[in-house]
Amino acid sequence: METTSVDVLVIGGGATGAAAAYDLARRGVKVLLVEQNDLTTGTSGRYHGLLHSGGRYVVSDFDTAVECITENRILRRIAPFAIEDTGGMFVATSQDPADFPAKWAQACAKAGIAAEKLTPEQARAAEPALTHDIAAAYRVPDASCDSFDLNHGFITAARTFGGDAWIYQKVTGFLRDGDQVVGAEMVDTRTGEQRRVHAACVLNATGPWAGVVAGLLGLDVMIRLDRGAMVAMNIRWVNTVINRLRPPSDGDILVPVGTVCVLGTTSIRTEDPADKRVEVWEVSKILNEADPVVPGIRHGRALRAWAGVRPLYEPPAELAQAETGHDVSRRFAVIDHTERDGLRGFVTVVGGKLTTCRLMAEHAVDVVCKQLGISARCTTADEPLPVPEASPRHYHRLTKRVDQQEHGELPGALICECEVVTQPQLEAHIASYGDQPVALDDLRRDLRLGMGPCQAGFCGYRAAGILQRVRQTTPEEATRALGDFVSERFRGVRPLLYGHHVRQFALDELIYRRTLGLDTLLNLDQPQAEEVRDGAD
Amino acid sequence: MALTNPLSTGTSSIAGRGEDMDVIVIGAGLAGLMAAVHAVNAGARVRLISQGWGQQMVTPGWISVCDRAEDDVIAEVRGYAALHPEHPYGRAGDDAMVAGLESFRSAAEAVGLPYEQRKKDGHNMRLITLLGAVQRAMIAPRGIAAGDLTDLRGPLLIVGFAGWRDFYAELTAGNLRRQGIDARAIEVELPDQNRWWDYWPGDLARLFDSAGFRESIARQVAPHVGDAERVGFPAVLGMDDYPGSLDDLSQKIGRPVFEIPTLPASTAGVRLSERLRRWLLRKGARVQIGHPVLRGVVEERRCVGVEVASLGHPTLFRADRFILATGGVYNGGIQTDESGRVWEPLFDLPVVIPEVETRADWYHDTLLIERGHPIHRETGLRVNTDLQPLDASGEPALENVYATGQLLAGFNPLTDGCAEGIALATAYKAVHTALELDA
Repeated sequence: METTSVDVLVIGGGATGAAAAYDLARRGVKVLLVEQNDLTTGTSGRYHGLLHSGGRYVVSDFDTAVECITENRILRRIAPFAIEDTGGMFVATSQDPADFPAKWAQACAKAGIAAEKLTPEQARAAEPALTHDIAAAYRVPDASCDSFDLNHGFITAARTFGGDAWIYQKVTGFLRDGDQVVGAEMVDTRTGEQRRVHAACVLNATGPWAGVVAGLLGLDVMIRLDRGAMVAMNIRWVNTVINRLRPPSDGDILVPVGTVCVLGTTSIRTEDPADKRVEVWEVSKILNEADPVVPGIRHGRALRAWAGVRPLYEPPAELAQAETGHDVSRRFAVIDHTERDGLRGFVTVVGGKLTTCRLMAEHAVDVVCKQLGISARCTTADEPLPVPEASPRHYHRLTKRVDQQEHGELPGALICECEVVTQPQLEAHIASYGDQPVALDDLRRDLRLGMGPCQAGFCGYRAAGILQRVRQTTPEEATRALGDFVSERFRGVRPLLYGHHVRQFALDELIYRRTLGLDTLLNLDQPQAEEVRDGAD
Repeated sequence: MALTNPLSTGTSSIAGRGEDMDVIVIGAGLAGLMAAVHAVNAGARVRLISQGWGQQMVTPGWISVCDRAEDDVIAEVRGYAALHPEHPYGRAGDDAMVAGLESFRSAAEAVGLPYEQRKKDGHNMRLITLLGAVQRAMIAPRGIAAGDLTDLRGPLLIVGFAGWRDFYAELTAGNLRRQGIDARAIEVELPDQNRWWDYWPGDLARLFDSAGFRESIARQVAPHVGDAERVGFPAVLGMDDYPGSLDDLSQKIGRPVFEIPTLPASTAGVRLSERLRRWLLRKGARVQIGHPVLRGVVEERRCVGVEVASLGHPTLFRADRFILATGGVYNGGIQTDESGRVWEPLFDLPVVIPEVETRADWYHDTLLIERGHPIHRETGLRVNTDLQPLDASGEPALENVYATGQLLAGFNPLTDGCAEGIALATAYKAVHTALELDA
């Protein structure tokens, strides 16, 4: 078994884990981050894109609001490449509690959140799609944030300072020396290869999986899993983040992200950290809550719906006293298992918001460093992250890709028209996987293949043809890859299949069934399976 | 399945425009185009109005009548229609189906587009899909029909174009080999390759109109022909020069060539639509493509006209009879929304809808499930044997409105392998009942 030694092993490739890896690396600690999937595939990647000003929490959770505005300013400074300064607005309609805006504005002033009162006319002049029924409106320093870019920025920066990150490594167990954790064992989920990493301390930054990972050590980390759905509309209905000015509830936010507008969210208790379900009623609720603020949006075209699982930390009452000792807010917690469970070399960080990921990392790394006897202080807020130029994530900017295509800088056949992905890009990317298996869905995540309005109807077949050519796969494999891809895309749009989308998807289904005969080909293996069964009988 | 939506009526304050017609056909799919052709042939004054071209623009191009038929297709449909009088084939009747198919082939022939079928046994052809599956269909454009695998005796050569995004010859050939069909693939170069990055099938088809271009392709293919019995290309072998381009290419390569349907847009559909449009215009019909019909104007259970969005303001067009060929859920003839409402937008005709609790159940969990999804299978208008849409009490909702094609309830156009057959049968039947012609 391959064995590696580092000072600190960080488990979890979401925003908190990546920020922690960067923080550790800056403090001169030799750090390795491992992630069971690709980076940013958990809660951080299944996010609405809102960089909070804190306004949303200022009445219900003042401390978190203060953390948000502080971190909002820091992230703008250190990761400008991941942030679009859209600004934000809080808007109340006549249907919302009339006494709330005044209370909210007072709390903002106390928290240091600049909330500028707007007349309804000013608000509508800035955002013409807003309702005429505006009871109160304020401008706040919200922004939109690309969590993939941010995460990639942290990882790139961590590497610059000597850290590293491995993906598709699922931790299967821990190495212990008495009451000291001294590393972890993991398996490569793509090759099945097993690895062992020795570390003086392990940081559990696995979000909704925190309980599962701690459970491998027999520890009990109580987190409440809370699923929230989001809907991306096909255009930017607004260019400013719009928050409903009322106590936080379902369907409160509209966030312009790239070429789309994300509406969110819902809140449903779940037991499964991998729960990605989006129910039809959630989509309806989100649209119907957004409609009074932006009239007509309910009839607009929804592109995609997805869900993320929030890992909310709720310390048991008897432990609450101990938690306050760590000087952390109620919204996130760093658990030093030395104090709580008598186990050294293991620290868990849970809860929090994407906006506060750097702060969570700072607190968690402080605890890790204390265990290791390292006195270096956190400096992640001090200077900007290096811009991750070489990252494939620059494909995320659709305007840039269109510009490159039109000026001949992206040569080759246009495979995905919706998201501007070309044949040479696909070929290079497939080749970058080397001998590793590659699914069309991996190409989607990396290049945004099939993420536009047609949801793979056209590019799915083209990508399967290119995959077969580059990888010399069998026609069965290429056909199955296509079947898997379009089935996965179907799952993503199914809650949105009404109106225009029913029509779009009928075209896709027509292509799959009639033009390609994909169903016929996928069924080719079925009769053989039956023969085997008959033989067994 | 359940019926929703009471019938609404209303008059129009908009002034009429243009001459009053005998027949207005709404929709320019296969059903609408052929309804206009039938009405013109019957001597009627006809206006065809459509928001856009129909589904022939995106289908493979062949005519599915009853794809599942193992032997005689017509006999299979007759048998099925006799047992299922509610099915659109049952509603239209056997004779309309046979006449509809025959008159479609004549109409296509008349505009220079030969469609072929297996005359000797009346079976379905076995045709090759883009991905190399074998799909049955009764009638197909000559180039596609030339690929019928039924009488294949030797190997196939499948030809792709290097760097063209819409056809992967090796994948097609590979899947054919899995099914025991001897096929191999080559790729040939297109001249001036940098231009091809966003070429659609139609762009290539126009190049194949040129004898010089065909020559350059044939020269590259000929050395690879070997023992191949036939040579297959993506279905782009000519637009205006079709089918002359087929014969010329076959002659130059020295083997019969055939076509494999591509991703949309369908070259076969583009050719057919454009040539039928010109034919209708030549025969004196009015054809308005790109003009959405907003609603029908009804007076005392008769439609007197339709309001059309055109020229910046709605315009009323009047006629004695109206053929609805607006299509189903895909085409816009049936609309749906987020609340789960399903409706017919022009006359608010009662629609059969899936009997499910919420729109969550419009789809099954599995995308390519065998009989498709309820939203396509269980949605449409209920009609009588004259193809008049029925109201909730089972009476004709309007005296002079007839419905055709995918607008009708009782079949899934995506899975049942009969969409074009139903379009042709019901278009024929609707015009003959509307104009009280002998079938």
